[in-house]
Amino acid sequence: MRRGIAATALVAALALAATACGGDKNDGGSTDAGGELSGTVTWWDTSNDTEKATFQKIAESFTAKHPKVTVKYVNVPYGDAQNKVKNAFSSGADAPDVIRADVGWVADFASLGYLDKVPDATAKKVDAEFLPAAAASGKYENQMYAVPQVIDTLGLFYNKKMLADAGVQPPTTLEELKTASAKIKEKTGKTGLYLRGDDSYWFLPLIYGEGGDLVDAKNKTVTVDGPAGVKAFKAARDLVASGAAVTNSTDGYQNMQTAFKTGQVAMMINGPWAIKDTYAGEQFTDKANLGVAPVPAGSAKAGGPQGGHDLAVYAGSKNRAAAHAFVEYLSSQDVQTQVTKELSLLPTRTAAYEQPDVKANQMVQFFKPAVDKAVERAWIPENGSLFDPLKVEYTKAVTGAATPEDAAKSAGAEFRKILKGWK
Amino acid sequence: MAVHTSRTAAQAAGDGTDVARGRGRGGLKRALATHWYAWAMVAPVVLVLGVIIGWPLVRGVYLSLTDANERNVARTIGANTIEASYSFVGLDNYTAVLSDPVFWQRLVWTVLWTVVCVSVTFTLGLALANMLNRNFRGRAFYRMALILPWAVPGFVSVFAWRFLFNRDNGILNKVLEGGGIGAIPWLDDPTWAKLSVITVNVWLGVPFMMVALLGGLQSIPGELYEAAEMDGASAWQRFRHITLPGLRAVSMTVILLSTIWTFNMFPVIFLLTRGGPGDSTEILVTQAFREAFVSSPRDFAGSATWGVLILALLMIFALVYRRSLRKQGEVW
Amino acid sequence: MTATTSAPSARKRGERSPLASVALHATLIAASVIAVFPVLWVLLTSLKPAKDAISTDFVKDPTLENYRYLVESTSFFTWFGNSVLVAGVTTVLGVFIAATTGYAVSRFKFPGMRPLMWTLLVTQMFPMAILIVPLYNLMGQLGLLNQPLGLIITYLTIAVPFCAWMMKGFFDTIPVEIDESGRVDGLNPFGTFWRLILPLARPGLAVTAFYSFITAWGEVAYASAFMVGDDNLTLAGGLQTFVTQYTANWGPMTAASVLIAIPAAIFFVFAQRHLVAGMTAGATKG
Repeated sequence: MRRGIAATALVAALALAATACGGDKNDGGSTDAGGELSGTVTWWDTSNDTEKATFQKIAESFTAKHPKVTVKYVNVPYGDAQNKVKNAFSSGADAPDVIRADVGWVADFASLGYLDKVPDATAKKVDAEFLPAAAASGKYENQMYAVPQVIDTLGLFYNKKMLADAGVQPPTTLEELKTASAKIKEKTGKTGLYLRGDDSYWFLPLIYGEGGDLVDAKNKTVTVDGPAGVKAFKAARDLVASGAAVTNSTDGYQNMQTAFKTGQVAMMINGPWAIKDTYAGEQFTDKANLGVAPVPAGSAKAGGPQGGHDLAVYAGSKNRAAAHAFVEYLSSQDVQTQVTKELSLLPTRTAAYEQPDVKANQMVQFFKPAVDKAVERAWIPENGSLFDPLKVEYTKAVTGAATPEDAAKSAGAEFRKILKGWK
Repeated sequence: MAVHTSRTAAQAAGDGTDVARGRGRGGLKRALATHWYAWAMVAPVVLVLGVIIGWPLVRGVYLSLTDANERNVARTIGANTIEASYSFVGLDNYTAVLSDPVFWQRLVWTVLWTVVCVSVTFTLGLALANMLNRNFRGRAFYRMALILPWAVPGFVSVFAWRFLFNRDNGILNKVLEGGGIGAIPWLDDPTWAKLSVITVNVWLGVPFMMVALLGGLQSIPGELYEAAEMDGASAWQRFRHITLPGLRAVSMTVILLSTIWTFNMFPVIFLLTRGGPGDSTEILVTQAFREAFVSSPRDFAGSATWGVLILALLMIFALVYRRSLRKQGEVW
Repeated sequence: MTATTSAPSARKRGERSPLASVALHATLIAASVIAVFPVLWVLLTSLKPAKDAISTDFVKDPTLENYRYLVESTSFFTWFGNSVLVAGVTTVLGVFIAATTGYAVSRFKFPGMRPLMWTLLVTQMFPMAILIVPLYNLMGQLGLLNQPLGLIITYLTIAVPFCAWMMKGFFDTIPVEIDESGRVDGLNPFGTFWRLILPLARPGLAVTAFYSFITAWGEVAYASAFMVGDDNLTLAGGLQTFVTQYTANWGPMTAASVLIAIPAAIFFVFAQRHLVAGMTAGATKG
């Protein structure tokens, strides 16, 4: 460190210059004279660890059709993705060209002006060839901003052997669930159900089961604190307090999967995205041991939320032509069929369900009717933002830190802060 | 020090370059002639702080007086430029935050968290420093082991603790269950989660305290102890009348630093519990972060309001601290 | 009388009864175990197969599989490089910008000094909460979000006041007579600082640099908010991708932790004495 300072200052200046220059990469490509696509398409995928290899393979094979296009596949963990996408879109630097967006995020991103409209020709095809409920999720103010990739809902996953050992049938209502859990505890010593306590998405089947909803978008009314909401919070607390279910308020998803895969619990509520990971568990080396039933009904009905993922193109993308072509490729019938075959995810194209590979898939056989009956959420921009305050109250209610009434009331108050001017 | 200029200095707004303003021309010239080199030396810092702290700070205060959020700030998306459309709303944000019980709940917990963490850390650090300030075999080894939590980057340790704390699969509960005690909901119960985050923060903070206090102990002349012993002072009396006063200066500094760090301790809470379960471990800074980056649409004005309020609290603390320093005769 | 006076003098100061000795060692062993265990557990876990990460055995089928996965299938080294770049440049710039200020406030009485000291103290206690939104918007407008440079500028808001404050403490420990000898030799204040004081303050500069480096190295909030996309993350952000709401890859997570912790820990062990001396110099005089 003799002549340290001057030398290091020089190094620092050089490093700064280098990083400053590195920022402005030109990955813009377009169509050349012959109409051939070129350039780089960066895709941010949010699929989970067991799914990502399949999606990467599929994404990269886009190059086979368009040799001049390079696909850059980036897996962004789902939990952080909404935030990271926003950061990237608002800064523009190194932003993805295509994203896989949860159906609940599309309206949010679109309302902020981040998404490029789906070209008219494609939009027409989507309206004609896709499941109507899925197509609706890609729209904001009657314009289509995203093409549906997969559709899903929640179901009751159960360990067939454990239920048989306890001599119970898959429960169809919460009451049956409690009786079944008591039997399971008595016969096997294990707990009946794992209930997510740290994610309010899992609250939706409960409130739908009581005939309620978070909000009534038509009348601009918050309904989470209505009688159905209170009943739903009560039901959640009751499951845990009665010992029918265990819960966690941190690392819940992972603990749920571990508990179900190792036979610590006999049932869990989850979606098709968890199928592949579940099959990897020691209890399900024989795949036939996994059963899936509709979510148990509350006092009014049984209903899971309609979920899924859409593909959207960034409005600031330098390579929009190739990006839209890429989206079209990813949502083509062939790709959807392949995804279903490998991952048991549900296609969004009506005709895909006629394909033998899809038809024969057991999980699709179960989930398709459930999806048909799933409750469509209000596709408002604030959709995604409701879950965060709801989570706080839901966790409090489930763990008994707040009464169901207080939880419902606070959730309603928080919702009204987000939805300005709503009743 | 600087007695002849202290009045002017105290009136200045807090920016070194502003000080000379308002004096007579002759005074300015004379000041320049005497102090130009000092001012030139501090110029880089004043400049940098002005640009990267001063400007954002002013803007932060301004944002807190508007209704800015993600939807109405200016942004550029590809070829489209969207103009800013937020408006000035006066003190509405402050009224909203201060009349919301959430702010007061967070404040109470943040103060509790800071006081408990700092006092426990200080006590443990002092005890360990006293133990290590003796000659015995294995001292170097203990010192190395005890310093380890400081040597490992904080975010790594916090993840490690989260791994240990996992209720269903963490080692702590496996050991407890093995010992016949039931599992403890470390991060799943509001009270336990509070204890857990405090534990981790204390674990992270003790080595720094220990090392700093050990340095302080070693700078106390040994003769003082010998003389006291000669006078028949007991171990406790020696501790009370020699050790503690000898550590006064270093203690003041580490307590100040530790208080600031703990009050603003973002990573421990954010990475361990994300403020949960529910919102029971959310402190002021994590709440402000949540407003700006987790909630959607991102409430920039709300977050700035929280930031200004937090800063005001810290300023009050610093004022009190400076007053107590002055009482001890330290002036600057 | 003789008995009571002879009892203490029979043992020299610093010696203990065997009982006290046992208690001392027992306490220190307990404290050491608590200090070391979490880190040790991470090390042990990183050597287990990924699927056994949650196993409670101390050692189970030792393997380097997690490390291989980390190196081959993640962007670990990119993150590592980003962290080194950001923390390194921040440190160099921070020390460089702040050095003369530390000297000036240590030596001179000048108008504006007290408000400056006050500002330095207050900016150190700035919660990131107040600056994060304006900085985020500013970086967005300058196109520096998601860029190492943007993060470096942001970290300077922490590093500059900290370095200035700390270096003042070190300069305070250097006798004023040295400045006077410089003046006698006809050096102006800058010459004195550059030729005489700075070389003497080198250990202090090193300690300041070190603290400023580890602060930037371990920063989480700005890094989480500003940096996105696998290629731009620093380690703090990168590690968060292993353990999210829906995934918990403890295997690679622990392996990465070990690789990050080892260099830092080794450095600490060797530099310990200097750090202690430096810290207390800074602290007692601060």
